[in-house]
Amino acid sequence: MSEWLESAITRAQDINDWLAPKRANAVELLSNTNWPTRKTEAWRYTPLRPVERSIAQAVAASTELSPVEVAGLSAIELVFLNGKFDASQLAETLPEGLSISLGQNLDDAQKSQALDAFSRIKPERHMFGLVNDALAQDVVVVSVAEGAEITQPIRISSLLSQGAESHTRVQISLAEGSRLTVIEDVQAAGETLSTAFVEYDIAKKAHLEHYRFALQTGSNIAIGGSHFNLLDHATMHSTIVAFGSDLSRLDTDIIHAGEFADAKLNAMYLLDGKELFDLHATVEHAMPNGTTEENVRCIAADSSRAVFNGRIHIHRDAQKTLAELNNRNLLMSNTAEINTKPELEIYADDVRCAHGATVAQIDKQALYYLQTRGVSRSKAQVMLNFGFINELIDLMPNAALAEWIRPIIRERFAQMEVK
Amino acid sequence: MSNSKSLLTIKGLHASVEEKQIIKGLNLDIKPGEVHAIMGPNGAGKSTLGYVLSGRDGYSVESGGVELNGEDLLEMETEERARAGLFLAFQYPVEIPGVSNLEFLKASVDAQREARGEEAITSADFLKEAKAACKQVNLPISFLKRGVNEGFSGGEKKRNELMQMLLLKPKLCILDETDSGLDIDALQVVAEGVNSQRSADRSFIVVTHYQRLLDYIKPDFVHVLSDGKIVKSGDASLAHELEAQGYAWLQKEPVEDELEG
Amino acid sequence: MTEQIDKALAREYEAGFVSDVESETFEPGLDERVIRRISEMKGEPEWMLEWRLSAFREWLKMEEPDWALVDYPKIDFQAISYYSAPKSMKDKPKSLDEVDPELLRTYEKLGIPLIEQQMLAGVAVDAVFDSVSVVTTFREKLEEAGVIFCPISEAIQKYPELIKKYIGSVVPKKDNYYAALNCAVFTDGSFVYIPKGTRCPMELSTYFRINEQNTGQFERTLIVADEGSHVSYLEGCTAPQRDENQLHAAVVELVAMDNAEIKYSTVQNWYPGDEDGKGGIYNFVTKRGICHTSAKISWTQVETGSAVTWKYPSCILKGDNSVGEFYSVALTRGRQQADTGTKMIHLGKNTKSTIIAKGISAGKSNGSYRGLVRMNPGAEGARNFTQCDSLLIGDQCGAHTFPYVESRNPTAIVEHEATTSKVSDEQMFLCRQRGLDPEKAVSVIVNGFCKEVFKELPMEFAVEAGKLLEISLEGSVG
Repeated sequence: MSEWLESAITRAQDINDWLAPKRANAVELLSNTNWPTRKTEAWRYTPLRPVERSIAQAVAASTELSPVEVAGLSAIELVFLNGKFDASQLAETLPEGLSISLGQNLDDAQKSQALDAFSRIKPERHMFGLVNDALAQDVVVVSVAEGAEITQPIRISSLLSQGAESHTRVQISLAEGSRLTVIEDVQAAGETLSTAFVEYDIAKKAHLEHYRFALQTGSNIAIGGSHFNLLDHATMHSTIVAFGSDLSRLDTDIIHAGEFADAKLNAMYLLDGKELFDLHATVEHAMPNGTTEENVRCIAADSSRAVFNGRIHIHRDAQKTLAELNNRNLLMSNTAEINTKPELEIYADDVRCAHGATVAQIDKQALYYLQTRGVSRSKAQVMLNFGFINELIDLMPNAALAEWIRPIIRERFAQMEVK
Repeated sequence: MSNSKSLLTIKGLHASVEEKQIIKGLNLDIKPGEVHAIMGPNGAGKSTLGYVLSGRDGYSVESGGVELNGEDLLEMETEERARAGLFLAFQYPVEIPGVSNLEFLKASVDAQREARGEEAITSADFLKEAKAACKQVNLPISFLKRGVNEGFSGGEKKRNELMQMLLLKPKLCILDETDSGLDIDALQVVAEGVNSQRSADRSFIVVTHYQRLLDYIKPDFVHVLSDGKIVKSGDASLAHELEAQGYAWLQKEPVEDELEG
Repeated sequence: MTEQIDKALAREYEAGFVSDVESETFEPGLDERVIRRISEMKGEPEWMLEWRLSAFREWLKMEEPDWALVDYPKIDFQAISYYSAPKSMKDKPKSLDEVDPELLRTYEKLGIPLIEQQMLAGVAVDAVFDSVSVVTTFREKLEEAGVIFCPISEAIQKYPELIKKYIGSVVPKKDNYYAALNCAVFTDGSFVYIPKGTRCPMELSTYFRINEQNTGQFERTLIVADEGSHVSYLEGCTAPQRDENQLHAAVVELVAMDNAEIKYSTVQNWYPGDEDGKGGIYNFVTKRGICHTSAKISWTQVETGSAVTWKYPSCILKGDNSVGEFYSVALTRGRQQADTGTKMIHLGKNTKSTIIAKGISAGKSNGSYRGLVRMNPGAEGARNFTQCDSLLIGDQCGAHTFPYVESRNPTAIVEHEATTSKVSDEQMFLCRQRGLDPEKAVSVIVNGFCKEVFKELPMEFAVEAGKLLEISLEGSVG
């Protein structure tokens, strides 16, 4: 076991709050966990040295931090400052049918409900998910009432100042027939370490529109998870946009726990310098008639390393499932590295499942075509890279977010091209 | 060079693809305003000529020279050739999903204007021009927003090529089998577009297998390309001759030449 | 349809008989003494014994791999006998006439007559029975062409320089747990050497038979194709029907020098155990080839037998322009478990690899494709194409795909596709409407599903493989 994990366990044992039973359980599981090495399948391509060497530590909430401006986006802001929930940034009045509370402020009945839901969706196999269980400073509980259609998006921003360590946790439940949009974002200043986990319980016929931005770069260590549970006829549409850093790791789990659920996941990550980004996306089809469509695209430049594991697991009862995963990767340099592993594990026969993965360079024909029109090679490369990602940006339902992210991505490609 | 007024001069061009020689000693001289048709059987090297002139990777020139406006074309990068006024309308334009047609056209026009030292065109003005060009080639305005050639039909792709030509205003246009896969209506639209662009300072190389296109775009000269060389040149009537005879005679002719020689 | 499939999944294992041969068999157990005794039985030189012992010491330090999607009770390596040979083989019969007729009858029953006149023309056979090679046919004819084809135990004595140079050169002693074990205790197998510029005049083939109870078979095959040579090698295997599991841990090494080509085909039909998963062979095999400049190695496998299969025939594409291929059909039924696939390691420029893997799962079985395609930084312009298709028959089985793609060269292109499907009611209806009975219909559909792989097999084997599938699926629909 690593010193880091030992210290995490020790710190967790000092916390005594309403989550005590859950924390104890996590601590016990962690005590029996071997610190991952290259032989640990889930961490095969992602060394944890940065965590072992991290100097990040708990620091007081900094009041200077505020969520990033997005033109045209009027969100309900749910802000964590160095891991502490900042209630002052939350709107005083919330739309009807939406409630947001700090876990410790819930009444006893609500508390016991929240306790039941805690870590029910997030699988135990995520080591840092357990760390988050054990160390989450503030747990925020969001619930949408039956049939409520919340048009204003909720944005969860985890903001970290230099050297901070933070563990944030949000529990979201959508009651039957409700609709909600959630944006998860981490903004970190450097040499930080964060774990940010959100669980989504999506009841019958409810719909979740979800975004996760992991744009922290440099020496930030960002580990997180978004875990979704879908009941009958529930639907979700998720978009993930990530850059890499010394260590960026995201685990998503989509669980079809009801029939006729539909999940769409579009993920893109653009890596430069020595960045690493690792996405582990698991889809569990436990019930019949579900559909899943995943598009994952990656561009790795310079000396970066991209890791993807896309697992689709069709359980014995999940007949008539349709599940597809399409993973495309562009490798831009001789020193960059792409590791991808799409997996199918199928125990039902009347299903249609497929995955495809490609690793290649920019399309030479397209490059030539642009050049014959007078566009320089380097500019053409930026355009093609952008186009490759833009296809997924175009699928983002929220126009303001799409407009906000496009120039950020374009800028990133322009920087890549200079090198 | 023999004629300083020539727009394009090709002398003794030998070029190969993957170590296979395709162009084997080609000569051609084009003056401003002229329309030259290049006809020939499949495999004669017709498309290769367009790729070599535009500088596609993998197409290497072994000997000979090409000048555009008195400048050594072969020394230039693909995009520099485009900026010098060379435009290739592709037989099979590639699809580029995610890059919008408008973005692509603006980038092309910007690059070319910049190279000529002209001021950048404003987005509003460009949009106006692009819309007009769309209209002229009979493409719905919505095509400007779609990915480059993405999901376009064969005819739409050709019209999109033509639209680019209208916007880029090149000096030399190479139309590579622009007629292939077009029905008669689409062919007319494309031909009208081309004809509208004919002018005293713009030349065309029309590469085609069939004479049909030349009913609509009247050439000043017709050349027959066979086995990497121009084996016969004439005026527009040569095209009709070819239509009547086909290309089979080409196989015999060189043998007869040898006998005579 | 599922019910009918379930009901009728029973199948006869035709090769399940036991030959009545008196054997000399070691007591179960594994230690250095056993290894010394094997080496002594084989009359091996000292260096070979030392090599075995060093592998054994490594093996003791290693752990059994657990990453494959297979589940079986822990193997007691002390309960296995590591050497068994018919007593009649002790005097090393000089010709077929001296070979125990019971042994010849065994092979005849398996459809492999060893009398040259009766054999398929153009196929030379090395017949391995438990721990020894019984006979190798057509040796004179091959010798004329300069081709060496003999039991590896004989090659160790006759061609020590070749063996020393190449054994363990492709699969190092410490490569993995079972390979290390094989290095320590291997008993027999085939050695092939094709000289420069030679096209081997006939197909070479080794037929492995496990007969004795409680023994493991640890064969080792080494094929060296010198510059510009060409060889096609076939391998078949069967074992009696027994209630105990038996271990088969083989190592195959292929060396294709510049411009050489090796085609290696396997029809694996070890006893799969019964419907309840009782008995059957644990087939834990390491197969790997190295391709030098412009060389080509093509693996084709039809895996229908064994209780548990753990097997990844691989290619190291070291030389520029070299080519690796892997064509596989893996059929599991009953309680069979197969975790099989390939590794294509691209080191050289413009190297190419193709992977076509077809998995068919029926009954309560599980079949997995596990593969690795690695493009190293030097693999300029390299290319891989992978297609994995799974077919599920019935709703109690599993079909899985675990491909690893690692690319470190931007000019390399990797394409991987995987699909899964079932025998559809529409397909069945069409076949039956045209007059086929349901069993035949399934077999026609499955054969069509496997066509891309079968066409890679040498003709004689293609027919056998087709039949094998048919037998395997017999009664899979009622």
